[in-house]
Amino acid sequence: MTIVKPIQIEVANQVFEAWNQLGVAGRVAQLEKAIFGLTHEQANMAKWQLDNARHEIGEAVVLPGPTGESNVLSTHGRGVFLTTVQSGIAGDLVSVGLVGQIFAALVAGNPVITVGPEGQQIMDTLAKFVPEGVVQNVAESAQDSIIEATDLAGVAIICDVDNAQQLSKRLAEKSGLLCQLVEETSIGSLSTIGAPHYILRFVTEQTVSTNTTAIGGNATLLELGSKAE
Amino acid sequence: MFNALEVLQPTILERPLNELWQRISPLYSADEELWLTELLKLAEPTDAQLKASTDAATTLIEQVRKDDESMSMIDSLLLEYSLDTKEGILLMCLAEALMRVPDKETADAFIKDRLSVADWASHVKNSDSFFVNASTWGLLLTGKIVTMDETKDGQPANLINRMVNRVSEPVIRKAMNQAMKIMGHQFVLGRSISEALSRGKSYRDKGYTYSFDMLGEAALTAADADKYLKSYEQAIESVGKDTYNKGHRPTISIKLSALHPRYEVGCEERVMTELFESVKGLIQKARALNVGITIDAEEADRLELSLHLFEKLFRDESTKGWGLFGLVVQAYSKRCLPVLNWLAALAKDVGDRIPLRLVKGAYWDSEIKLCQQRGLSGYPVYTRKESTDVSYLACANFLLSAHTRQWIFPQFASHNAHTIATIATIAENLGATTNEYEFQRLHGMGDALYNRLIKDKDVCVRIYAPVGSHKDLLPYLVRRLLENGANSSFVHRLVDARCPISELVDHPVTTLMSRKTLRNPFINLPKDMFVDRKNSYGPNIEIESEWTPFKASVDAFMGADTTWTAYPIVGGENLETDKVREVNSPYDHSLNVGKVYWSNTEIVNKAIDTADAAFPAWSKTPATDRAACLERMAELMEENYAELVAICHREAGKTIQDSIDEVREAVDFCNYYAQQVRQNFAAPKVFTNFQGKTQQSQLTGRGVFACISPWNFPLAIFTGQVVAALAAGNAVVCKAAEQTSLIAFRAVQMLHEAGIPKDVLHFLPGNGATVGAPMTQHKRIAGLAFTGSTGTAQLINRTLASRGVAPVPVIAETGGQNAMLVDSTSLPEQVVRDAVRSAFASAGQRCSALRVLFVQADIADRVIPMIAGAMKEQTVGLPYLHSTDVGPVIDEKAQKMLLDHIEVMKKEGRLIAQAELPEWAEKGTFVAPTAFEISSIDQLKDEKFGPIMHVVRYKAKDLDKIIDTINNSGFGLTMGVHSRNETTCAHIANRARVGNLYVNRDQVGAVVGVQPFGGQGLSGTGPKAGGPHYLPRFAKEQLV
Repeated sequence: MTIVKPIQIEVANQVFEAWNQLGVAGRVAQLEKAIFGLTHEQANMAKWQLDNARHEIGEAVVLPGPTGESNVLSTHGRGVFLTTVQSGIAGDLVSVGLVGQIFAALVAGNPVITVGPEGQQIMDTLAKFVPEGVVQNVAESAQDSIIEATDLAGVAIICDVDNAQQLSKRLAEKSGLLCQLVEETSIGSLSTIGAPHYILRFVTEQTVSTNTTAIGGNATLLELGSKAE
Repeated sequence: MFNALEVLQPTILERPLNELWQRISPLYSADEELWLTELLKLAEPTDAQLKASTDAATTLIEQVRKDDESMSMIDSLLLEYSLDTKEGILLMCLAEALMRVPDKETADAFIKDRLSVADWASHVKNSDSFFVNASTWGLLLTGKIVTMDETKDGQPANLINRMVNRVSEPVIRKAMNQAMKIMGHQFVLGRSISEALSRGKSYRDKGYTYSFDMLGEAALTAADADKYLKSYEQAIESVGKDTYNKGHRPTISIKLSALHPRYEVGCEERVMTELFESVKGLIQKARALNVGITIDAEEADRLELSLHLFEKLFRDESTKGWGLFGLVVQAYSKRCLPVLNWLAALAKDVGDRIPLRLVKGAYWDSEIKLCQQRGLSGYPVYTRKESTDVSYLACANFLLSAHTRQWIFPQFASHNAHTIATIATIAENLGATTNEYEFQRLHGMGDALYNRLIKDKDVCVRIYAPVGSHKDLLPYLVRRLLENGANSSFVHRLVDARCPISELVDHPVTTLMSRKTLRNPFINLPKDMFVDRKNSYGPNIEIESEWTPFKASVDAFMGADTTWTAYPIVGGENLETDKVREVNSPYDHSLNVGKVYWSNTEIVNKAIDTADAAFPAWSKTPATDRAACLERMAELMEENYAELVAICHREAGKTIQDSIDEVREAVDFCNYYAQQVRQNFAAPKVFTNFQGKTQQSQLTGRGVFACISPWNFPLAIFTGQVVAALAAGNAVVCKAAEQTSLIAFRAVQMLHEAGIPKDVLHFLPGNGATVGAPMTQHKRIAGLAFTGSTGTAQLINRTLASRGVAPVPVIAETGGQNAMLVDSTSLPEQVVRDAVRSAFASAGQRCSALRVLFVQADIADRVIPMIAGAMKEQTVGLPYLHSTDVGPVIDEKAQKMLLDHIEVMKKEGRLIAQAELPEWAEKGTFVAPTAFEISSIDQLKDEKFGPIMHVVRYKAKDLDKIIDTINNSGFGLTMGVHSRNETTCAHIANRARVGNLYVNRDQVGAVVGVQPFGGQGLSGTGPKAGGPHYLPRFAKEQLV
């Protein structure tokens, strides 16, 4: 069976590595410029997501461990995210939520595919400030083909519980990696999108462990050995 | 505790040898405060002695500094390129690796990597030493190039950087290689003994003699060991022909780890036979040619083994009556004094004198690091330099005592003027004549000190001189230098005129006594390595005093009369069912370990309903109380260490060290998550929300969590998942792998004992059909943690998603197709050691295990045969024996899958090597470690979870393509990288989509809280187990 991969997924995959390698600070610097094109409420949400990302995942964490070894934990994007809103749900807060999803997914290091006219509007605002392909938009009619793509890392959606259940089932039926569903079902409060740990749903983590004594020495330890208190 | 002063009584040597032997091992990691208090009594000088040694040292240093030729070439190099500067370290890094890089591209990239990050030009012409300036790159590059660059802008500051960028690469490479040759020439006395004897003649004319060392890496293969043996034989023959007729005759130093690929405690039988025969052969040859032999000291774990071997050799007929068979003992070892005591008694018992080199010790940093990594009880070495110096002088007092020097000929190796002067003073005080001891120094170091000493005193000074090809020895010597050449070392300060003499002549006893504590407060004990939690403990099975009682405690659970029975536990009640599974050992299916009553759907539903009812109360239990339960669980596991290790052996087929590591990881999970839950769950976090208002977020439990764990880490992963879910405030139903339910049952019993309410945690043994399916179909399951295959994870995910309830978190840790990338700057010995461990430890049954080794084509012909040789040294056997490297695979299904793959690979790949299986292997499910060379990772369809390594050659220019291929496999769990080029390492880390990347080490054995573990893509959902983001995924983040 030939699997047809939507062109948007291919394009997004091509830019993913470079976007991810910019790091949180690099992405924040680009995304911040786009905030001015948003409404006041949307801009507050976008800014909050960027600030939150800086706080939660902005710095690689140096982990404690034995001497002579360096262990660093960093976060990276998961891959291509579809960011969308359930059909028929609308309103100012929903638009704010959608912006929150998109900025969270992007700042975490993922390329994003948005949907429909509202997605197009946000994409247009962002496109001038981020590399081509990092944000793309598809028509609502094309959303299903994106959802079905095996390479899709996740779907961030604002929807009701029933819709979340159906989408969860649909994503689980796909083969390949476990596609993440990041659903916001508290449409009136955005309590998921507005929570500090929301950003973590869009990242993977990498630990890099280096044997710093591979070539022999460990001057730090030697210094500790002779350090006077 | 050992009474140090007792060694000064002549009657000490009358004691039974065995009694003196018994005093050695208990001091392995003795309390440093207590033991130093004892040792200080032996080292403390009288006022008169203190004055005499201080005066002597002061005079010596004054004379040395007056001497125009005070600095030897290596001293000069260290002064210019101090090893606490970036340039010093980079110079050494270059020297360590460049000469072995065969291909131009990698060499150029490596030079660029090293040179572009330091300010080399600032060192040009700083030193008066020709050697140093010759090693300074600017002068090595022709005057023409330098002039050309300087005339352009007259600013030499970034000279080298610009040259690296502008000058043609072959010129730079040639210059660098030339520099390395110059360094090699200085570090290595000669490429052969005859060359060394010839070059050493001028020193012998001054009164020095030599101990030649055919240094190099430890042998990993029988072929390497054979090569080193021949090299030692030739060395002995050459020294035997030495016709220099003045002074003392040169000797040979030998490194036992070079003579046997498995010189380690677990292989004691082979050491005491095979290695014994090799050394005996050398002794016979040496004795016939009148060439003394000294056995070098190595790592602390090998000390007791080395003494056993020494005794056997010393008592052998080939050695008796000779008096020139000696050894090295390290003063930084806490066991040094009792070792010397035992050796003196041994010499007396045999009736021959032992030449004994007392050194301070060269593996200090790696000893400290290893103990921290293994969670050992303490350190085998002192944590302060002055403590080692105290030990050295205490031991000297014993060695120079009349009753000892009759049996030991002490050889004091030091470059410290104070130590040398004090030794001479002690000798005088104790009436030792200068022909009753000697000094030793390293080739190229301490020339001025000893030139002066030889002039002033008629004492023998022996130079320890490396001999061999520069390419082989330079890396080794540089690593030793890096371990000894820090700014604070005496060698460096002696030649640094800015350092006042008064600072160099402090008596170490005075310095140590002036400290607030005898133990160094900056180096925490292994158990205190983490500031906010306790590190797990591991016994050291290489050390007699730890291994003997530990083994006895485990053996108590190893008899056929000890079996275990596991039941479903619901509400704290053990339930019997009509489905019982007998458990037999994977290494011998005729051995019964116990039985497991399997759960059924009714039990599963009852457990989930009970858990659901208990959840609200548990969720409201203060986070600190939940944390306390976890910490109590950690304690209980350590209290029941022996039983848990025994079940690991018998039920899971785990080897001794693997079993210890298993318990340690489980303990670490408990302590780490306890700390995390205290930090993040105990109180709400205040933050400003997106509307600019102050808000609070609180992490709380989600409901009933299902935990499904695998057999490969039957205690650690099982416990890790369960305690994470519990800590976050969830009730838990858990299913262990059907192969390893006994240990999981014990873990649940302990969790209940630790305070987890019995209606909160329920144990459901069984298989996927009997437990997994009803568990994941149940609507009250609020989240699931799973470790296992990618396929099963997908199945579980589908079942959970089709229940018609709100989506729940699925935390899945799945398979991998793990690679290691090795470029030509890497050290082959390190690569082979790490690759073999990564691929075959735990019979390859680790999620992180190496499956595909990518070796740069330029070094593949060297690395691949070494892998083959090292694999032949792997012992497949009974997991509870110390000699076993590789135990069984878990069951027949796994065995068949692996054997089928081996058959396929025999047709599609090239067999590199296959380890041998024991004759009785058919009693269990064993698979011989096997390696194949294949052309691409694409030849592998899926992960083969066992001891099979695939090797692929790659061209340096194709590195990015290789990374793409690995990324395209979709898996992303672990990756290893071996390269000295930091730019390459960083590039790979940036591009590789893997969860855990390991640089210049093996790629297994992630430590909780240190190396959070988990993959990307097909390898798992994240967050990483044992990491800071794990617990929040088990919780709801509620905004209040």
